[in-house]
Formats: sequence, structure tokens, C-alpha cells
Amino acid sequence: MRERTAKPAVWAAVLMIIFLLAPCLRAQGTEATLSGKVTDSLGAAVANARVSAKSLATGQSAEAQTDLAGTYRLAKLPPGEYEVTVSAEGLATKIGNVTLAAGASLTFNAALSVLPSAPQAQPQAPTNNAPNAPPSNRAPSLEDLGFSPSETKSNPKEQVLLDKRTRMLKIHQRLGLITTIPMIAALVTSSDVGETNPSNTNRTAHMILGSATADLYFTSAYFRAPRVPGTKSRGPIRFHKAMAWIHGPGMILTPILGALAYSQKNKGGDIHGIAKAHGPVAIVTAGAFAAALLSVSLKF
Amino acid sequence: MNWEFVNAKRSPKQLASAFLLLLLTLPQYLAAADGQWILDQSTLTYHVSHPLRQTEGVSHAARGKGVCHDGQCDFLVAVPVKSFDSGDSNRDLHMLQVTKGAEFPMVTVRTRLPENDSKAATIYADLEIQFAGQTAHYKQAAFQLTSQGSETRITGTIPAALSDFKIEPPTLLTLPVKNEIPIHVEMTWHRQ
Repeated sequence: MRERTAKPAVWAAVLMIIFLLAPCLRAQGTEATLSGKVTDSLGAAVANARVSAKSLATGQSAEAQTDLAGTYRLAKLPPGEYEVTVSAEGLATKIGNVTLAAGASLTFNAALSVLPSAPQAQPQAPTNNAPNAPPSNRAPSLEDLGFSPSETKSNPKEQVLLDKRTRMLKIHQRLGLITTIPMIAALVTSSDVGETNPSNTNRTAHMILGSATADLYFTSAYFRAPRVPGTKSRGPIRFHKAMAWIHGPGMILTPILGALAYSQKNKGGDIHGIAKAHGPVAIVTAGAFAAALLSVSLKF
Repeated sequence: MNWEFVNAKRSPKQLASAFLLLLLTLPQYLAAADGQWILDQSTLTYHVSHPLRQTEGVSHAARGKGVCHDGQCDFLVAVPVKSFDSGDSNRDLHMLQVTKGAEFPMVTVRTRLPENDSKAATIYADLEIQFAGQTAHYKQAAFQLTSQGSETRITGTIPAALSDFKIEPPTLLTLPVKNEIPIHVEMTWHRQ
């Protein structure tokens, strides 16, 4: 009798988790990235070149500007065929076609030749308070300010890591919030499951909710943000991470102790021994989890 | 210095050489800057508003220079995006991601001002700002000036917005931040 009620409940919990996870995971892996470097005919990087990718299917365009190293990156492009146009002042425009597959990262480099009739840089007559004109050859440049190359150089790899971090963090946050629903429900249904004669329905509901909480919790933990080299944790995130040392082990212990308590009850006896710690451990775990959640959501 | 050359009686050939040398080098001196401004200290603060909280990020890492010619000064101020600190590393990394700070690591501000503006109490500058791979222009941004000796202190607010740089507003608990991200500027310059 007990086995017949438990199996559908487990399937229901599995289905619920799949249902909850599906929207979070669906968004990944369908968008493509186009990146590359723009140089002149001598191989020197061209900064501030305009790169546009126009979808041949929809006509929509995405644009980017090259940085000081001449590199550009167009992310989150829908897969398909694109016409890529690269232009820069005083240089010939280059147009090419590329095909982006779903989730692919394609490199499109462009070497722009100097226009035969390109005007040479002439000292500009100063105009009153008109900074938006192209800077004259006397205006200070970024190199004049003495920044090191490591400070001014584009780092596309780090940008990819940061993008990945944000995607994972969003899933981590959403799953963390969703986890609170079965967690609170499990705490609510725990009020009478420890009594001498609890109903089978309440115990089963409590078990399902506890299992769903643990599953969602560990899925959320899997999507925690990856470390970015060279950064140190500061602010509320330190407290958030510290709380994980409490709710992490708690989330492992609570189901084990719960299973022991469930087994003892099924044998018709009272909950005894280490299994009696199930309730207190669960409450401490939920408290640490809530504190971790609030620490990054609200300002104390 | 070559004393023998100075004290010796110069031949016409030597004088012609010296004159030629003077002609060659003089234009370079004439073309040199009339003067320049150097940024000594700076505090740049961005302000982000969200229904649940207000956030500020501060940077003291800006460097700047102004080069003056013919009564006009071209200014450039640059600051690494990474240098802004909000007191929360998680938020700073998120800011770095949404602003493409690893790909476009510098924020640059360019402006040109009349040289005699440094004596005014308020200046109105047209700014060209490059940030997150985009360029935005701000017309007639007001800044207050106070001078003490050779130092000039500038304070003001740049009315920047996320949409000016095509930055998607980040969200917290599904609520997006406000589009306006005013940047408060405090800078101390000295003239060389």
C-alpha cells in the first residue's frame, strides 16, 4: 500500500522539476556570435571601424565598433546568412557574406585598403566649443595618458566568461527563488508529520515537497556563477557564500535524516536517535538559505 | 655645449648652417602646444536606481590631459570600466558584463573648450563619450569651476542613460533598473 502511493509521487516530483527547468535551459545554445579583427592594408589595427551584420532573411541589422585593438564582437545573433559590412574613415569598405549556425562562434577578419582619394589629415581650424568634430592631430590620445596595454586592450575571452557567468547566475537566481516554494510548503506540512499518528497523505506530501526542494536546490547550486580570474569577493556576496557552508551540508543532511525518520515511522515506532535532528537541521538549513537569498536581494 | 664652437670666429658657411638649422627646428617649436592641462585627482560616480535599491559605483582611476592651441583646448579623459567599485564584487562583475567592459575596457570623454573658459564659474561643454563600443554626444553639459592657484576644480553631472550606449537595463528580481545613470564628476586639474 505504501509503495503504491510513493511511486506516483516520485514521478510527479520528477515531472515538476522538468517542467520548472525547461524554460531556464531552453534559451541556451541557439544564438551565434560573430567576431574578428579589422586591420588596414599594412596589418595595423583599425579602431572605431563600424561593423554591421545584416540578416539576409529578416533584414535586421546588428552593429558594433572596433576597439583600440581593432577587434569587434557581435553576440546573440540568430542563426542564418548575413551580409557583413566593415567601414572606417579613409579606408575602403569591405562587404562579405557569412553563414552562422546555431550556437556557433565565427571569425570574420577584414583588411581594409586605403582609398586612393582619401584626404590626408589636415590641421583643423579651431571652432568655438565644437568638440564633436573629429579630433585634430594635436588632440591628446589614449596613449598620451599612460595607461598600460593590459588596461586598454580588449579581452574577448573574458567577455565570453562574463556572459556565461551572467547566464548561469540568472538560472541560479531563478532556481533559488523557485526552491523557496517547495521549501516553505515542506516546512508548513512538517507540523504534524512528527506526531504519533500522522496521516499517510501528510507524510507523503511532506516527502514529495522535501525531495523537490533538494532537487531544485542542487540544480541551482550546479548553476552557481563561475569565478572570474583576478576578482575578489566584496560586499553581500561574501555573506551569501558564507551561508552556503551552512545550507549546503544542511541540504545533504536533511533528506538523509528525513529518510531515517520516515523509515522509523513506517515501522510503527517513534522517531528516535539521530533522526530526531531532521526537524532542527531542516529549520537551520531553511534559515541559512533564506538569509543567503535576502542578502543579495535586499539592502540591509 | 661646445665652447670651442661658441668662441670661435664663425665662417659664412658655419653661419649659413646655423641659420638652416634654425629654420628647420623653428616650425616645430611654433607648432608645439601653447600649454596643457593635466588631471591630478578625480572621483567619478555613477548612480543606478532600482525600485528596491539605489546603487553607486565610484572610480578614482581616471586620467586626463588637455592640449591647448590657438585659444582652444582639446581634452581627453579616460577611465577603465573595471575601476568602478560599488562595494559589491558581484554587482561590479555584472556591470562589467552588461557594459561589455572586457571587450571595451575604457570609457573616454572628449571635449574642446575655449582656453579662457578656465576663468569662468560655469562652463558648458559638448561631450563625446565612448563607452561599451558606442559613442554618445551630450550637448552643453554644465560644470562648475573653482580655481585655487594653479589648480582648477571641476564638478558637474553628465546626464548619461543606458539607451545612449545601447545597454540593456539589468534586472533584479525581474525588475529593470532605470534608464538614467547620471555620472557625477569631481576633477582637479592643473595647468602646465
